[in-house]
Amino acid sequence: MAASLVRLVRGGLGRSLNISRSSCLLQQQIRAQSSTTESRPTVRPKDGVAHNQLAAFGEYVAEMMPKYVQQVQVTCYNELEVMIHPDGVIPVLTFMRDHTNAQFRNMIDLTAVDIPTRQNRFEIVYNLLSLRFNSRIRVKTYTDELTPVDSAVPVHMAANWYEREVWDMYGVFFANHPDLRRILTDYGFEGHPFRKDFPLSGYVEVRYDDELKRVVAEPVELSQEFRKFDLNTPWEVFPAYREPKEAPPKLEAGDAPPEKK
Amino acid sequence: MASTAATRTAAGAAKVVKPIFSRDLDEAKRRVRELYRAWYREVPNTVATFQLDITTRQGRDKVREMFDKNKHVTDPRVIDMLVIKGKMELQETIHVWKQKTHVMRYFYESEEPRPTDFVSKFYKGHDP
Amino acid sequence: MSLQTTGLVGLAVSHNPHERLRILYSKILTSLQTMPQDAAYRKYTEQLVNERFNHVKSEPDVDKLEKKINCGQIEEVIFQAECELALSRKMSDWKPWEPLIEEPPPNQWKWPI
Repeated sequence: MAASLVRLVRGGLGRSLNISRSSCLLQQQIRAQSSTTESRPTVRPKDGVAHNQLAAFGEYVAEMMPKYVQQVQVTCYNELEVMIHPDGVIPVLTFMRDHTNAQFRNMIDLTAVDIPTRQNRFEIVYNLLSLRFNSRIRVKTYTDELTPVDSAVPVHMAANWYEREVWDMYGVFFANHPDLRRILTDYGFEGHPFRKDFPLSGYVEVRYDDELKRVVAEPVELSQEFRKFDLNTPWEVFPAYREPKEAPPKLEAGDAPPEKK
Repeated sequence: MASTAATRTAAGAAKVVKPIFSRDLDEAKRRVRELYRAWYREVPNTVATFQLDITTRQGRDKVREMFDKNKHVTDPRVIDMLVIKGKMELQETIHVWKQKTHVMRYFYESEEPRPTDFVSKFYKGHDP
Repeated sequence: MSLQTTGLVGLAVSHNPHERLRILYSKILTSLQTMPQDAAYRKYTEQLVNERFNHVKSEPDVDKLEKKINCGQIEEVIFQAECELALSRKMSDWKPWEPLIEEPPPNQWKWPI
């Protein structure tokens, strides 16, 4: 499965060269895979045609907007992902919506992912659907706790409540949002529950107080110490993503790609 | 939340960061003062609408205390973020989206101070 | 005129699709003229618009034109052209053909971590 995850990383120089080379590599890979008989049990049949189409469209987008697109990849489940710079949210989403060859007019989902070890810990993910071409695309960008992201509401009305949710759950601020306020948490709630550093038990617990005749919130107190379980498996979790031991030899522009065995 | 980002910005001081609203500290401070004024004026209304058992004076002292809690913050972006959250709370209070319980949460009425010395811990019953 | 409705909510039947498309396509082409010659957006959009424009010029019959363009009913094609025109005008402001503003921080897109 790992072989079909094709990354079209965009370097600073010789960008078009990189792309054309990766695309021909990609085709070669797919041809090589289809010709050899598969000995492993196949969980999901490979769809080379869809994969190629998505890769081609990804390159098309990357070529159209080199200012914003940092990376394009097609995952092993044939999902096209476009990684963009946070400044490019509005241009890229508008392009996806209005360009005749894209027409991703529906925003299916907008969410965030928190990865605290990264320099920009939040990934903002936009899932778009094109009814005209029956295809989906995922646009990803990044931010941290204090950097505002441009709101997608002028482009997609559906983004309104999704962005409120992301603001409430992760604390990412969306600039120019028409009505950014909490949507899921209780009034007076402090903190952002979906952040990885938010404790599982929360900070406060509520109860009804008979003397005050109202609900009160108090700092949470566990009668038993919170137990940590060692849940690490002895098995390798992502064997498909194993880092290669040594980097494959770099190709020069004129070289032919090496034969696949 | 703020501390990690603050250290990061301090490390990459040369890097230009995108401001939330305020370009410098003075502008951020102005926003804080505006928010404080709005809260200060809102306190009598809040006490009346929610029928709170406190005086206006107590409410304003509480507002002052909440602002003083964050007075060590100097990063304009962090200040902006706190102001945004403060505005959100103010809006919730003005529109009476909050209820009495939410407003009174600022006063920690039901909380008893945690026992510190051995004897009071012993009386309390358990020693965590 | 036999066609009463497009069957799509909010999309009225167009009575002069050829003229409408001609105006829109020439406006798009003018707007594309302001972009640099080697911009990929200009290249591909010009190609696409010219192809459709030629169909519009050569085919007077609406049904056959729809088949030739092969992108839905003619009203939808008009709508697409309107979107493309708005986009091309915005594109002139954004200038997306410029080089990448900023490289991602190292390991930003590495997954799993």
